[in-house]
Amino acid sequence: MKRRRLLAGPYLFWSVSFIIIPLFLIVWYGLTSADGGFTLQNIAKITTPENLKALGLSLLLAFLCTVICLLLAYPLAMILSQSSLSQSSFIVLIFILPMWMNFLLRTLAWQTLLEKNGVINQVLALLHLPAIDIINTPYAIVLGMVYDFLPFMVLPIYNVLVKLDQDMVNAARDLGANSVQTFLKIILPQSVPGIISGITMVFVPAMTTFVISDLLGGGKVLLIGNVIEQTFKQGNNWNLGSGLSLVLMVFVIASMGIVNKYDKDETGGAF
Amino acid sequence: MSNKLIDLSNISKAYGGHTVLDELNLYIRENEFLTLLGPSGCGKTTTLRIIGGFETPDSGQVIFDGQDITHLPPNKRQLNTVFQKYALFSHMSVAENIAFGLKIKNKSRQYIDDKIKYALKLVNLEGYENRSPESLSGGQQQRIAIARAIVNEPKVLLLDEPLGALDLKLRQDMQYELIRMKKELGITFVYVTHDQEEALTMSDTIVVMNQGYIQQIGTPEKIYNEPENAFVADFIGDSNILPGIMVEDRLVNILGATFQCVDEGFGKNTPVDVVIRPEDVDLVKPEDGTIRGVVTHLIFKGVHYEMEVTANNYEWLVHSYEMFPVGTEVGIRVVPFDIQIMNKPISEDEEAVNLEA
Amino acid sequence: MKQALRRLYLGLIFVLMYAPIVTLIVLSFNKSKTRAKWGGFTMQWYRNLLENEQIMNAFYTTLIIALLSAIAATVIGTMACVAIQVMGRRSRRALMAIANIPMVNPEIVTAVSLMLVFIALRIGLGFRTILLSHITFNIPYVILSVMPKLRQTSRSTYEAALDLGASPLRAFFQVVFPDIVPGVLSGFLLSFTMSLDDFVITHFTKGPGIDTLSTKIYTEVRKGIKPEIYALSTLLFVTVLLLLILVNYSPEKKESHVKKTITRATRIRYMALRRVLPAFMALVVIAGGIYYGSQSSLTGGDSVIVYNWGEYMDPAVLELFEEETGIQVIYEEFETNEIMYPKIKTGAIAYDVVCPSDYMIQRMIEENLLAKIDFDKIPNIQNIGSTYLEKSTEFDPGNQYSVPYCWGTLGILYNKTKVDEPIDSWSVLWDERYADSILMQDSVRDAFAVALCSLGYSLNSTDLDELTAARDLLIQQKPLVQAYVVDQVRDKMIGNEAALGVIYSGEAIFTQRENPNLEYVIPKEGSNIWIDSWVIPKNAQHKENAEKFINFLCRPDIALMNFDYITYSTPNTAAQELIEDENIRSSTIAFPTDEMLENCTAYRFLGDEMDSVYNEFWNQVKSN
Repeated sequence: MKRRRLLAGPYLFWSVSFIIIPLFLIVWYGLTSADGGFTLQNIAKITTPENLKALGLSLLLAFLCTVICLLLAYPLAMILSQSSLSQSSFIVLIFILPMWMNFLLRTLAWQTLLEKNGVINQVLALLHLPAIDIINTPYAIVLGMVYDFLPFMVLPIYNVLVKLDQDMVNAARDLGANSVQTFLKIILPQSVPGIISGITMVFVPAMTTFVISDLLGGGKVLLIGNVIEQTFKQGNNWNLGSGLSLVLMVFVIASMGIVNKYDKDETGGAF
Repeated sequence: MSNKLIDLSNISKAYGGHTVLDELNLYIRENEFLTLLGPSGCGKTTTLRIIGGFETPDSGQVIFDGQDITHLPPNKRQLNTVFQKYALFSHMSVAENIAFGLKIKNKSRQYIDDKIKYALKLVNLEGYENRSPESLSGGQQQRIAIARAIVNEPKVLLLDEPLGALDLKLRQDMQYELIRMKKELGITFVYVTHDQEEALTMSDTIVVMNQGYIQQIGTPEKIYNEPENAFVADFIGDSNILPGIMVEDRLVNILGATFQCVDEGFGKNTPVDVVIRPEDVDLVKPEDGTIRGVVTHLIFKGVHYEMEVTANNYEWLVHSYEMFPVGTEVGIRVVPFDIQIMNKPISEDEEAVNLEA
Repeated sequence: MKQALRRLYLGLIFVLMYAPIVTLIVLSFNKSKTRAKWGGFTMQWYRNLLENEQIMNAFYTTLIIALLSAIAATVIGTMACVAIQVMGRRSRRALMAIANIPMVNPEIVTAVSLMLVFIALRIGLGFRTILLSHITFNIPYVILSVMPKLRQTSRSTYEAALDLGASPLRAFFQVVFPDIVPGVLSGFLLSFTMSLDDFVITHFTKGPGIDTLSTKIYTEVRKGIKPEIYALSTLLFVTVLLLLILVNYSPEKKESHVKKTITRATRIRYMALRRVLPAFMALVVIAGGIYYGSQSSLTGGDSVIVYNWGEYMDPAVLELFEEETGIQVIYEEFETNEIMYPKIKTGAIAYDVVCPSDYMIQRMIEENLLAKIDFDKIPNIQNIGSTYLEKSTEFDPGNQYSVPYCWGTLGILYNKTKVDEPIDSWSVLWDERYADSILMQDSVRDAFAVALCSLGYSLNSTDLDELTAARDLLIQQKPLVQAYVVDQVRDKMIGNEAALGVIYSGEAIFTQRENPNLEYVIPKEGSNIWIDSWVIPKNAQHKENAEKFINFLCRPDIALMNFDYITYSTPNTAAQELIEDENIRSSTIAFPTDEMLENCTAYRFLGDEMDSVYNEFWNQVKSN
């Protein structure tokens, strides 16, 4: 058994080199200035109005996206977990297969769909319906986020629901609960771990994306991810970028902490 | 033991072309402890689920207290179920589990608290209100599942192999507990099991099922002593099932030897199956037996010895308080009353049953 | 009824998920190069695909990285799981927590942290760093797939195997491994897919001359996606779809529904069809990729690393150069001067020849980042018009460091059918009538140049009051702006999405070709005139090759090829004379008259401090 433990060696080495040390580097860069002295200025930069606004908007959009994903995903997961048709292939069809079409392209395609003279508006015009004009607005970004991250909400919830003991549902019905009561009192509470893990897997990437806002926001919407990306890639200010990343990390950890308080055990998971 | 409480008539059910129940007819009397007994896949659980409302039969009717409840959803039925794997709500405490049904019915707080206390006392788990179901042992979870069902004062309690997951000792204890509870509650129990001993111990009536058909309905004694066919005989306890020919009334030829028996009305020279329980086989001196044989196996079983005796090319299973060492020549004798004569299976289904078993 | 509702819901989700995909597939058959317009059906992009070395290289890089990282992650991850299983509760928890970090940590933070570590360890950014990063983020997926399966296997079977005399290795592979194979395989496939689809981490950890499909696409977003990419994606998608259909509808599956107990043999056969076959097909594709890659990269060690703007050179020129000189070109693109600059500054990557703009060249000269060019090696410099060399002295005094490549102006592109009056002033960009119909440049200097010029200030202003006024003007303009974009102005104007767009003169010629309603003007208040020139960084490893390359580009026929391809004005007067189309040769867009350029000024480098003021003000505009 001792020797078996050694098998974790490569993994340990790997995670120390490429997970732990890099994180410490961020902390180090974030807390030093360009000339190497200790400073809190990089962190303090988050309080400038434009950065605060970007952070606030990121939180808001991520929250919206998470709520919409949850509302869309739950019924979907329910249907999939109950249907007798081979659900696994449907899931693959809906969620895994599109991944083979590059994520940037898929997001970019929404531009073509949403533009003023885009596909959707042309169809709407044919039907004599009013045009929708959301491209280059936060709405388009939320749509893009929902599109990109929906699978990460559906899969964990689905996984919990398929494993749900059907007799537990039967028992509730047996004890007099109608289908609504059964859902609210049994199915929903039982699927909390899946919901939590879905929220985590949607909220974090939505909160930190810069690609989607870049592609669908028309450069008018600046999220905290954009700020960090620009600081690194264009401003080339690693100290400031690291400082802002640190703040972002703290925010994400804090949000997850709040969410996880409702998760008693770690039974949920996407895989 | 008076009027019919539940009446199942002509129930059929198939899953994907595979017939599970075929034209099943069965009634359950009030206050009865009725057990559905059979091997897995015999349709007993499906029958229970149809009574509980978790399955709808393809055809046939379920009458409860004179009312057709065939298509009534489970929450509208006056019966409750104890599930095989308990199905306790893991996100609720023991008390919340028990209170679930009562809260749905909007009972008062006081009433609910009293009921929880009463139920926990009934199942011998006082003081467990705030425990989480997952912290309990299998036996305790089982009791909570029962408590959760009975607080709703159902007219019928359905139990789906409730003791299946428990170990032997606990299972035996729970059997007595269940009988006690049944007496205290004075309601009808419909019990599903594949364990014949459990069925014999607890039931008023046993329904032996196989492959979607009822094989025999009767009291435990009748089922044990007078199995109607080879399947029942084989399924209930160990038996010697021998081919025989009914020479005439009260006389049967088994393996070439003629035995006295008490059965009549099979006609003359009719092929039959003969059941002789191992404890009814008397081993005597070779010259005193109806046929002779040699002991080939011997095991000490505590209360008795189990032996195999080869006689007339048949391995007889014998239970006896007396020991005969391997190799001993013995005579076999059976009291006429202990010889049970059964008709040879006529239908193909029964034939199939025989082969399967 | 209920069933119908469910079907409807599934259908809606399906439409949502597949609308973009169908769009992309349709675009792959679009004759027009811009995605804004349907130009008829064509198979041309599929035919061109195999010849487009850049895309194919990016594709195979993507596949190879996905395969290698998935294999490495699967091995490391599975080993870790086996070890974790026998560990105590505490160390198990710690390891699982570490595994969760890349899953929970924001992707951008992971990416940034990896980039920092590679630079700290002095591992040059490139193929290796992408691979290492992908392995890092793939391991958790493997662990999370394998661990549950491993937990289901009973430890006693492993011990029983040991008891029966098997060595631990043998016991593992014969007893434990077969049970966790599904988990291992799904971990592998998940890793492969994730790696394939990754952009953020690759974006931060990639180096020069290497692109995955994602980063290639991201670079191209600003220039307009090459239709070949749509074609490639469509092929990839359809292949995987066919594989899935093949595997899912094999008769094996139906059989297994009937059988209640699946014997080991059928399970393995089932697995073989379901998992191993696709993996095998993928392997074939990848082997092809390695073969392809080896063919294109084995052409000797002599090379030149070029760092140029996106879509700023005819690929045929590169091939010609390679053919004539035998020097291999490693070609890398950037989107803005500001993205290019730090890469040169940090010296993490030794580029040989780079094409920055005027003010950036000034900055790089001042910061001593550039090498003097040996003009004896560049006889073709005689083809460059003297006016341009003279203009260059503004940022490169004495013409020692740079050779002009392209030049142009900043102006307004407008749609004649969407405006009523003649457009000649920047002020039209503040006209409420064109609300939501204005496209601005998404770059600091260009945006501020527009505001400063319309206020009558210098576009090189360092006066804080003037800059504040310009910032406020831009903030005031923001509600009217449809989008801040770089090269997408082109596509959007062609697609009639907007009435007015701020654009470089070079793009104007191309857009007019696609949409004759478009017209370009240099506003009367004045504007920016810019020159992009070739320079050689100090740390270049192949300076002589770089000079050969620059000299090659100055050849009139080559300059003409590039002009035809990118449509930006060329300072190569010899090439200008070779232009056949009379209209273009005399076009005032391509070659404005001196009086038109009277009010135009080049950007100057304003110093680090002013730079950050500009950036801060711009951020305030963007986030307002």
